[in-house]
Amino acid sequence: MTGKRTMTLNLTDAEMRVLDELSARKDITKTAVLRQALRLYQTIDARIEKGEKLLFENDTTKEKAELMLL
Amino acid sequence: MTVDISIIYLLDVATGDSVEAELRDAIEQAQLDDWHTKWQPALLAVLQELARKGVPMSQWPQSWHWNWAQKTARVQGLLAFRGFSVAALGETQGLAQVDLTKTCRESNQRGKPFVYLEYLEVAPWNRPKLGAAPRLRGVGSALITAAIASSEDEGFKGRLGLHSLPQADDFYRKIGMTDLGQDVAYQNLRYFEMTSEQARAFFEKEGER
Repeated sequence: MTGKRTMTLNLTDAEMRVLDELSARKDITKTAVLRQALRLYQTIDARIEKGEKLLFENDTTKEKAELMLL
Repeated sequence: MTVDISIIYLLDVATGDSVEAELRDAIEQAQLDDWHTKWQPALLAVLQELARKGVPMSQWPQSWHWNWAQKTARVQGLLAFRGFSVAALGETQGLAQVDLTKTCRESNQRGKPFVYLEYLEVAPWNRPKLGAAPRLRGVGSALITAAIASSEDEGFKGRLGLHSLPQADDFYRKIGMTDLGQDVAYQNLRYFEMTSEQARAFFEKEGER
């Protein structure tokens, strides 16, 4: 996929810490973290727009919790 | 959308010659038209022949019901998905679709992002197990290579995962993927994963060819 563009991102210290931590834990670059975030956000938003819900299920208790997106 | 096109070479099984092909990082209308007007009739003929010979359905090509028009329409415009296609001799020879939002299960890379290969299919005339000899060889490998290269490009270090149809299990073992066993949550298909080290080994082996 060609045509990548560069942009400056202004993040707070806390946001930058989270970005650093995710980048280290997921073994991907900070750019890759943000690209993943964008993909996931778009996917979730598209499904919610279609009337679906995003649920998390506890693997042990099978308890389900709905994630509300604003 | 800009489509990246790489030139690759396939093997013409009948003549032993190499055939120039295009590997494209997209599935576009032209490929869907080929699927509809060329793959579908060819597959139908194969299925009719298998039925006539009394071959049990368990031995039929396991992707016979796949509908590429629906598969691509479902993910249209979503950044999470990407398609690949191989074209040669004026027609589409193979198609693949990947999901970029899933994470690894293998213990050494659990939770890390990877490329999940959702679907990979080669044209009916390129499949070795449908009676006649395949026309072109190397299409499936080219699509797997594209998926691993895409993992590298995304910064996922070549990590790759997939659920395999039983007829393809041996192929994925042969290219060095780890067989993590049957997945009861996914139609009991076997789940395979490739680590960064296995991806490096895969590329080294490909480079030696």
